Amino acid sequence: MLKGMTRLVSRVHKLDPGRFSHLGTQAPQCPVAHLDNQVPTERTRAISRTLENDPAKHGEQHVGQHYNISIQELKTVFPHGLPPRFVMQVKTFNEACLMVRKPALELLHYLKNTNFAHPAVRYVLYGEKGTGKTLSLCHIIHFCAKQDWLILHIPDAHLWVKNCRDLLQSTYNKQRFDQPLEASIWLKNFKTANERFLSQIKVQDKYVWNKRESTEKGSPLAEVVEQGIMRVRNATDAVGIVLKELKRQSSLGVFRLLVAVDGVNALWGRTTLKREDKSPITPEELALIYNLRKMVKNDWQGGAIVLTVSQTGSLFKPRKAYLPQELLGKEGFDTLDPFIPILVSNYNPKEFEGCIQYYLENNWLQHEKAHTEEGKKELLFLSNRNPGLLERLCAYL
Amino acid sequence: MRGDGWGEGSPNRAFIMFRLLQGKVLFFTSLSLDYFHLKHSACAKQSLLLEYTVKILKLCGLTQVRWSRYGPEYQDPQIDKEYYRKPLAQLTEEETYERELRKTQVIKAAPATKTSSVFEDPVISKFTNMMMKGGNKILARSLMTQTLEAVKRKQFEKYHAASAEEQATVERNPYTIFHQALKNCEPVIGLVPILKGGHFYQVPVPLAERRRRFLAMKWMITECREKKPRRMLMPEKLSQELLEAFCNRGPVIKRKHDMHKMAEANRALAHYRWW
Repeated sequence: MLKGMTRLVSRVHKLDPGRFSHLGTQAPQCPVAHLDNQVPTERTRAISRTLENDPAKHGEQHVGQHYNISIQELKTVFPHGLPPRFVMQVKTFNEACLMVRKPALELLHYLKNTNFAHPAVRYVLYGEKGTGKTLSLCHIIHFCAKQDWLILHIPDAHLWVKNCRDLLQSTYNKQRFDQPLEASIWLKNFKTANERFLSQIKVQDKYVWNKRESTEKGSPLAEVVEQGIMRVRNATDAVGIVLKELKRQSSLGVFRLLVAVDGVNALWGRTTLKREDKSPITPEELALIYNLRKMVKNDWQGGAIVLTVSQTGSLFKPRKAYLPQELLGKEGFDTLDPFIPILVSNYNPKEFEGCIQYYLENNWLQHEKAHTEEGKKELLFLSNRNPGLLERLCAYL
Repeated sequence: MRGDGWGEGSPNRAFIMFRLLQGKVLFFTSLSLDYFHLKHSACAKQSLLLEYTVKILKLCGLTQVRWSRYGPEYQDPQIDKEYYRKPLAQLTEEETYERELRKTQVIKAAPATKTSSVFEDPVISKFTNMMMKGGNKILARSLMTQTLEAVKRKQFEKYHAASAEEQATVERNPYTIFHQALKNCEPVIGLVPILKGGHFYQVPVPLAERRRRFLAMKWMITECREKKPRRMLMPEKLSQELLEAFCNRGPVIKRKHDMHKMAEANRALAHYRWW
């Protein structure tokens, strides 16, 4: 009988860790003594927040929970690149909380175990509309920024292939076109994100801008960026120089480079831009796209390339297309091959509960019926657990 | 029937609106069509009934303006999910009798706009329909949802900017703001042109509940359409006007007060009303 009792006791002890792990990271902080009173009530409510704000320490137990990014960090790490609706949400709630999800965790695991002596590995985040590709990319960027990598973030490559008012013939190469406005905006944001690196990295060539201005060999990269921001005509060439230098010098091991491009399928699609004689321009004739393509090739070491393919904002692609093969086309797929595809799908039930709980905690769901089980079931049905749709639904409820 | 705040109800008579050809006063009359017991099938019976009523009305010098294809025997559909979820064992005798009765009755088709969603609101639906132009319900609905979102975001900003004591007074629910704003815009008394001695006089008249609701919504929409700056979008302007009406100020409230003042000024003509 005593043996049976001891077996029972050991089984009960084995059960306890299971009960604790549901509480997430908050469990270790609760003393064991008054566990029995608290666990039954907290088990019924989903946990939506975690106190672990360092992406490097996120793990499986944090899936479905939101972690906080401080507003100062947001301004330095993400001067551009956050989806507009997320920016509105940050402004309304006065806090920036990102959900930890499986695709991002997978990517973080790969990035933590990268071998910087090998050529840069390409990771492609793909998924249907509204599943969270851009925010997963932002999670990765936040991790790399915390780990002191140099972030080369192109927020939306589609913006570079459409709606460009001023196209200039490139000064460097007569066949290509310059986009001064887009290039200067990107340079400004790049400078905000990577201030501390710009003074350390030295340029390895002499660049002559015009008869009066030139950048000597050995001067810091910040000068090139300044030149691009001041003289908007040379902005595209400045971007090209920055990309070339970074690619060359990351292999030396001085810094680690993360190339993050959102909507990389724009680089190999079609553009809506036309020359004066109304003939269409192909992407490789745009200097920005031409230089970016060189960046996305895996012939350099010392970093990683994380890409997203998206149909929203893409040109001449059907609405339902979301697979990399469909969006990149033959040319793009062949250039990017081999890459690691990572599917970003809709929320699983735990993540959905976490999201609803987060909205309830911030009092975002004001409708009386939204708090009830009926309301939650209806939201689940209407949104099909799609994060983007759920956000839009909860916005007016 | 859910959301029966409109008073449209389910009468067993056909309400037909008439117009006097001489003047522009609207009469509401109900004709009981129970008198016509003809030995025909249901649809033929209906069409014959309507024909007879039209002929009689034309004789009196009245023409129909709004009618329904459904006869008086058609019952309104029961959209409430809770009604059907009640287990049969828990029903009282009257409820079981009612359910058995409904099995024998003919029921109208539920309109596409009426859902059994928990978030449905008849006031919001009516307002969306009034905002709709050219049958573009998708656009009208998206404008409505964007307005509610804009109201919510503005109130959240106000909440975060307010001190701890004021935070309790800030209302963040866009639906309560919407309902309260429209209630504040409803006029209590209205003016109706009555023909007497060859002249039209504006006579103060008590308004029916639905006329008041209609006027409030109509004034709100007209104000937002006409008086907004050229590049401002409708949701932004509407949210502004709703928030002002919620606080009992703004142009729509002013229009309501103007209506009240005119009615007060024409107080002497109240005797011209005969109903």
